Amino acid sequence: MRRRRDQGHGHESSHGIDLAPMLDFVINLLIFFIITAVFVKESGLQVNRPTSFETENNEDSKGISIQILDTGEVWVDNRSVDVMAVRANVERMSAIKPDAGVLIMAQENAPTGVLVDVVDQVHLGGIYNITFTTTQ
Amino acid sequence: MQSRRHAPVSEDHGIDLAPMLDFCINLLIFFIITTSFVKEAGIPVLRPGAVTAEYRQSGNLQVAIRVNGDIWLDRQRVDLRDVRGHMERFHIERPEDSVVIIADKASKAGVVAQVMDEVRLAGIKNYAIAADPNAAGS
Repeated sequence: MRRRRDQGHGHESSHGIDLAPMLDFVINLLIFFIITAVFVKESGLQVNRPTSFETENNEDSKGISIQILDTGEVWVDNRSVDVMAVRANVERMSAIKPDAGVLIMAQENAPTGVLVDVVDQVHLGGIYNITFTTTQ
Repeated sequence: MQSRRHAPVSEDHGIDLAPMLDFCINLLIFFIITTSFVKEAGIPVLRPGAVTAEYRQSGNLQVAIRVNGDIWLDRQRVDLRDVRGHMERFHIERPEDSVVIIADKASKAGVVAQVMDEVRLAGIKNYAIAADPNAAGS
């Protein structure tokens, strides 16, 4: 009789639910998420690809066109320019045609490094509407 | 009698687990929220640098293009024609994901363009070419 009373008292003093299994489970989940978490932040440049509709209408008169040759040479306005000079050219032409986009026509074997440099320069020139096509 | 009265105390586990549990659950929630299941390309690539490169919030499908034109996706080499299938599968699994194309500095623009087309055909509108803002000018 006395023992039963004592046991009852013991159950009351513990908090009713045993938290240990839940804690085990939560810690397992936690470890899983810590392990799978990858803190990779990738940075990049957004460029558009022409839709088939746009390709039909892409006249040089509509926007600024920049060519990149296989050799990595950059041509703006039928002139060979340095990569670093693209920005100035873009700024000048966007002053004439303020809402123009830029069309980058790269030859198939043009290095991507030059392409990214050109995109970077165009961004610095203030234009973020860039379309990227390749030519043979 | 005296010892029996103290028995319930020793039956209790000694430490109150509730605050620890709260803490663990908070950590858990933090990691669930911040986790993004990045599909890494699985190959080191020399990224081109660009000052204006911006961080992609959910750029977690990475496609690497090597100098020789090999395309790497999810830690394996894939053919250009398989890129679309893989991308469609990833897109169905997590529709809000965006693609980052990690092209080597010296890789060909033609391959990059083809990969971009495949990604777009797979229905992913949000893609970008990887560039390293810290390596700009080199």
